[in-house]
Amino acid sequence: MAQSDSDDGMDEFMEKFKTQKYKNALNESNWEEEFEKVPMFMKTAPEEIDPLKNPDLACIQSIIHDDDRPPEEQAKSLKDEGNEYFKEKNYKKAIVAYTEGLKKNCSDSDLNAILYTNRAAAHFYLGNMRSALNDATAARKLKSDHIKAIIRGAQCCMELHNYAEALQWCDEGLRILPTEKKLQELRAKADKQKRAAERDARKAKAKVKKERTDRDALLTAVKERGIKLMPGQRQHRSSDSEEDDGAEGSAADMAELNLDGFSTQEATGAKVYLDEQGVLHWPVLFLYPEYRQTDFISAFCENSSFIDHLTVMFGEELPPWDTDKKYCPQNLQLFIEDHEKGHIYEVDVTKSLLSVLQHTRCSVKQGTPSFIILVKDSPFCKQFLSDEKVHLLK
Amino acid sequence: MLSEGEAAELLSFLQSDTRPDVKGGATEYLLGLTGTRDGCRYLRTKPDFLRALLTLTSDPSIAIVKDCYHALINLSADETLHKPLLQEAEFLPTLFRNLLDPEYPFSDRVCTILTNLSRHQPTCRQVFLSLQQQDVSLAKIVEIFCTEGANQSASLHYLGPLLSNLTQLPETRQFILDKERCVIQRLLPYTQYEASVTRRGGVIGTLRNCCFEHAYHEWLLSDAVDILPFLLLPLAGPEELSDEENEGLPVDLQYLPEDKKREEDPDIRKMLIETLLLLTATKAGRQIMKQKNVYPIMREFHKWEKEPQVISACEKLVQVLIGDEPEAGMENLMEVEIPEEVEQKLKDQDDKEKEQIEKEEQELLKEEKKKHQSESPEGLER
Repeated sequence: MAQSDSDDGMDEFMEKFKTQKYKNALNESNWEEEFEKVPMFMKTAPEEIDPLKNPDLACIQSIIHDDDRPPEEQAKSLKDEGNEYFKEKNYKKAIVAYTEGLKKNCSDSDLNAILYTNRAAAHFYLGNMRSALNDATAARKLKSDHIKAIIRGAQCCMELHNYAEALQWCDEGLRILPTEKKLQELRAKADKQKRAAERDARKAKAKVKKERTDRDALLTAVKERGIKLMPGQRQHRSSDSEEDDGAEGSAADMAELNLDGFSTQEATGAKVYLDEQGVLHWPVLFLYPEYRQTDFISAFCENSSFIDHLTVMFGEELPPWDTDKKYCPQNLQLFIEDHEKGHIYEVDVTKSLLSVLQHTRCSVKQGTPSFIILVKDSPFCKQFLSDEKVHLLK
Repeated sequence: MLSEGEAAELLSFLQSDTRPDVKGGATEYLLGLTGTRDGCRYLRTKPDFLRALLTLTSDPSIAIVKDCYHALINLSADETLHKPLLQEAEFLPTLFRNLLDPEYPFSDRVCTILTNLSRHQPTCRQVFLSLQQQDVSLAKIVEIFCTEGANQSASLHYLGPLLSNLTQLPETRQFILDKERCVIQRLLPYTQYEASVTRRGGVIGTLRNCCFEHAYHEWLLSDAVDILPFLLLPLAGPEELSDEENEGLPVDLQYLPEDKKREEDPDIRKMLIETLLLLTATKAGRQIMKQKNVYPIMREFHKWEKEPQVISACEKLVQVLIGDEPEAGMENLMEVEIPEEVEQKLKDQDDKEKEQIEKEEQELLKEEKKKHQSESPEGLER
């Protein structure tokens, strides 16, 4: 009879559920949210565990990090924790966990080696190559045959472009495990990069050397011809000056000339150059003070004469600024300025550029010879020349 | 030589517990014996003396140890002594044990003896078998060879020619050419090892012997090994090549500096060219070498080389590099069957060429290379 009593009692109890709601039930509308808050059913752990909001989770966490357990166990759980974070790609948290594990200073050196190796991996994926390498090195110190650590170390060296060291790591690893494919691949890659980097260095060196040789040849050519270069203002330091670390073999004055002699103000960056036949080509400026105009000839062959260029420039069409239409080749007069003395010299237009540059009174300013052009007997010309001391360039 | 009585007396002086000064005198005398051919031959019949020498290499007196090793080196340089030496059961094991000891100060002498012993194939095989029995792997030898400072007091350069000798055996070649491991790749940088001609020569000899395995040629020339630059670098000079020629070369040969020196030893230069020639045996190999622009390097080399033998080898190589492909069925030059009359003709040509070269050599008044007996002649022939 007693049995049927309790059965009855049970039935009644169960009946109640059909009609009454139980206390602390999950809310119908947001039961999924609430579900997530129960530690057992959480899909992901919250970033920070606030003991006030999530007391149950905080409790569990404190159990895990209970200081009463032996350090080896604590370190192991920290390792596992780190691994979990790692799987979620939460590398920062993983590092924190591994670091905590290492702080326990437990006596299990294999475990510590793993902690270092795993932390190295986390650093690696965060791009902290130096930290990763340090950790891999530490791991290897603890366990010299830890292949994962060796592979990681080699990878770090590769990322740091330290190919020689990468090779060393690979060879160490291959000594322990000669058939390890990953190491062999890494080694081949490191070797290849190393040799490519060496080639690049050689190539760069050859380029610098060639530039220097070319520059020396240029300076020699200019000097041979007796052409004077005026040092420009100190402000205009060309890119040449940075490379000119003690121009080997060049005399001090040549070096000084080299510093500024070839800098040009021209945006085109045109410079005098020596062609394969040993002929110099200069950038030349023609100045027309009457109309404040200029013409820039980027490569005036030293053997060409001025009239050659003037005929081409003014022969067919006169420039638009020449409102009086008087700048015909046969009317033009050419002058150079002697900046030192402040005199003006008339140049024979039938002469070659070279012969003019070689003249004792001529010096090239900032690597660009410049010439003033006026129209013979024009009012402006007369005015201009009256102000200056004019000579004829012989 | 010595009478029976004299021999017995001398032997008694060579015991470990003999007075040092007497011991020293006796070993010195023995060393003197080994300096002559007759002396060596005499000792062939005296295993007791050989054993005594071996035992005394552990003597506390360094002078005695040095003399003993010196004597053993002399003996091992004589081929007829190989069998008697190897009959001493402890001979090879002792040597190997000392070789692997990173602190052993006489490892270089040990290497020299082993190199001498391995020069000829029969004893080479014995040396190899003993290596295996003593559980000394070829891997270990390669490892200490390739590790800087593996031994503080010995340079271990003679491991090079030892390795080269051991490659007379197919087992060694198989080991070095193992695709699953990284062996030959570690040896390659030593083709340019300036500090020791012995080490360089040994490595290049090893590479040359391995190149007889033409099944491996494609792999050797591929990126996995990339043997070509290491063979060409010692032959390449400082001459400036055009940008176009440079860009077509293997990376290591591009933009060489103006102080680049070529290999100084003509025998080594010849071996390098022979190795390159071996690599042209297969069609695939020839294609790769043509494609990698080897020709300009050999062109400049030919202008520079003075030794007739090396020039001749160079010309052979160039001929293959710029020549046409052989007809179908003859692509692998090593497998071609040569009809008898052709073979005879080629032999006659070879003989004539040899005469010509010898003439040229005499005209050059080359200095005779003296090979001391105490230094092992390199066993670099196959």
